[in-house]
Amino acid sequence: MTAVTTQPGHAPAASLTGDRVLIYHLRDVVKTRQAEGTAFRLRVPSLQIALGEKIALIGESGCGKSTLLDMLSMILKPSEIGSFRFRPERGADPVDISRLWEKNQLNQLGDLRRLRIGYVMQTGGLLPYLSVRENISLSRRLLDMPDDGLVEELAADLGIKQHLDKLPHKLSVGERQRVAIGRALAHRPSIVIADEPTASLDPIAAERIMSLFIELVDELHITVILASHAWRHINRLGLRHLEHHTERAHDGSMTETVVTG
Amino acid sequence: MKHRLKDIVWLAGRDYRNEWQMSGFFVLALAAVLGPMMILFALKFGIIGSMLDNLIEDPRNREIHPIGSGRYDPAWIEQLRARPEVSFIMPRTRSIAATIDLDSDSSKRIISVEMIPSGQGDPLLSGRRSPVATDELVLSRSAAEKLKAQVGDVIDGSLARRYLGRSERVHLKLKVVDIAGPASFSRDGAFTSLTLLEHAEAFRDGHAVAEYGWVGSSQSEQERYYPSFRLYTDSIYNVGRMSDALNKLGIEVTTRAADIEIVRNMDRNLSLVFWLIAIIGLVGFSFSLGASLWANVDRKRKELSVLRLVGFRTGEIVWFPVIQSTFTAILGWSTASLIYLGVSYSINRLFASQMQSGEQLCRLLPQHYAVALALTLGFAVLAATLAGMRAARIEPSEGLREI
Repeated sequence: MTAVTTQPGHAPAASLTGDRVLIYHLRDVVKTRQAEGTAFRLRVPSLQIALGEKIALIGESGCGKSTLLDMLSMILKPSEIGSFRFRPERGADPVDISRLWEKNQLNQLGDLRRLRIGYVMQTGGLLPYLSVRENISLSRRLLDMPDDGLVEELAADLGIKQHLDKLPHKLSVGERQRVAIGRALAHRPSIVIADEPTASLDPIAAERIMSLFIELVDELHITVILASHAWRHINRLGLRHLEHHTERAHDGSMTETVVTG
Repeated sequence: MKHRLKDIVWLAGRDYRNEWQMSGFFVLALAAVLGPMMILFALKFGIIGSMLDNLIEDPRNREIHPIGSGRYDPAWIEQLRARPEVSFIMPRTRSIAATIDLDSDSSKRIISVEMIPSGQGDPLLSGRRSPVATDELVLSRSAAEKLKAQVGDVIDGSLARRYLGRSERVHLKLKVVDIAGPASFSRDGAFTSLTLLEHAEAFRDGHAVAEYGWVGSSQSEQERYYPSFRLYTDSIYNVGRMSDALNKLGIEVTTRAADIEIVRNMDRNLSLVFWLIAIIGLVGFSFSLGASLWANVDRKRKELSVLRLVGFRTGEIVWFPVIQSTFTAILGWSTASLIYLGVSYSINRLFASQMQSGEQLCRLLPQHYAVALALTLGFAVLAATLAGMRAARIEPSEGLREI
């Protein structure tokens, strides 16, 4: 077994360095998965993401992007946690995510997700029985947020205003992705996590939607973490790349990915 | 943060409506089980109910009739009257002396009728006036028709005897205070006061009756005895106990207790059959509903995990299938009730000619609808709970990357 030995420098203990507020601060977080004789390990020796940052995680499928995103969106329990802090806004106390997982407080994690995180999936993930408008405002509805026109505004920006009262199956795949982006942003979360949001689209539509997405995130001052395997046009959007590299054991029994940043 | 139950209800409702073909199928399936069950129960309830009603309402079912004749003195009769289960008791005079010939102005016919000792509280005359004074009588329906007599008419009654070798006939004016119902007494008869019967008996025996100026020998001063009596209990359920008590005193009686017991047995057995069918039907339905909800959890894995992802809690996800099966229960029950109402209307019209007015062959009380709803809800929620617990085990990350 070949272990990767990159040992990063210890992260600074204080999350505030100048104007930088760290929304994510992870140290020594590991997720191990085993299936039929092969094991996969994702190791995060250190990861710091500041509020307002735009992060890109680029790599082939199977390299562990989704595993990292799931841990960051608090739907996947890490196997080992050194420390995992989440500070959703400037001036707020950091939430100790490792403790919530340890105590199995899934409801608190759910509440945190509902309030702070927007998630764009690879394929829509829209509820087929709700109209486009209801799908977009679902995240707001769950927080009892009154209508402040943001839903309409997002729909206009995303070019789906004429579809607001249709059911998702009447829309094209690209339009559905736009709806999904709208839903992830409508409740003004602290962070939006997008896992290959344009993987199912043709390259031209993909580029257009990706630019639109980043524009909206900029406009609403939302932190974003974006996973993609197509990095050519990602480079033009001015995102910070997360460093990661993958090594496989010679007999194929173990794959390890190490992420730092 | 507070519970999002109202959102889950809303989402479950939208999903239910969106898949209306599937939902409609289950509503119809439930109605197809529940509707016939309601009809079956209504028939049982209606038929047995009207049989029991007939038994309870017909005072003849509460009658205890002594066989043969005995010697009962007034004190003994009074003792029986004091018993709580006795609602009416009236001694009878000898039946051979208890006839009278009646003649009215409106009819040419003279008819001979049986006299029945009656008085206040006679069950055969319930809801009508009873004869109290000696010159009052209540005619049976057939006697009244033959005499063309109306309530309020004064008719002529006459008694005959052979006395000292001669035929004698005495007349007395009697007032018709009411006419009995057709079921009370099917032959020609007249309900009269006991005193009139005693006078008639005395006259026939050749005694003098001072009140009417009838001559004859003076009556002996010895205690009066009656050969028989009319006895009614307060309810059909006390007939058995009362007749047992009389049997113990050596008085043989006839009652309709056997008829009553047959109907009550039939009620018990039919109820058993009904509940067997009902339980089999409902269990079968809840299995099929449960299986489909269980399969739904698989089918909707991705949607449910989306709900988890947007922040719904485990306990809230459980409600999703439970609420949907509650919809099925309520809609299925409503459909079954409509089916029942239509069918029972037809059945009741079909049999209307065979039933007494106001009686229904197929009948449900409001509480029966409520019990049907409660049972259906119970079984539906039970079926959904397993599926709900399965849904709650879905991890938010599970369905995210399936295409």
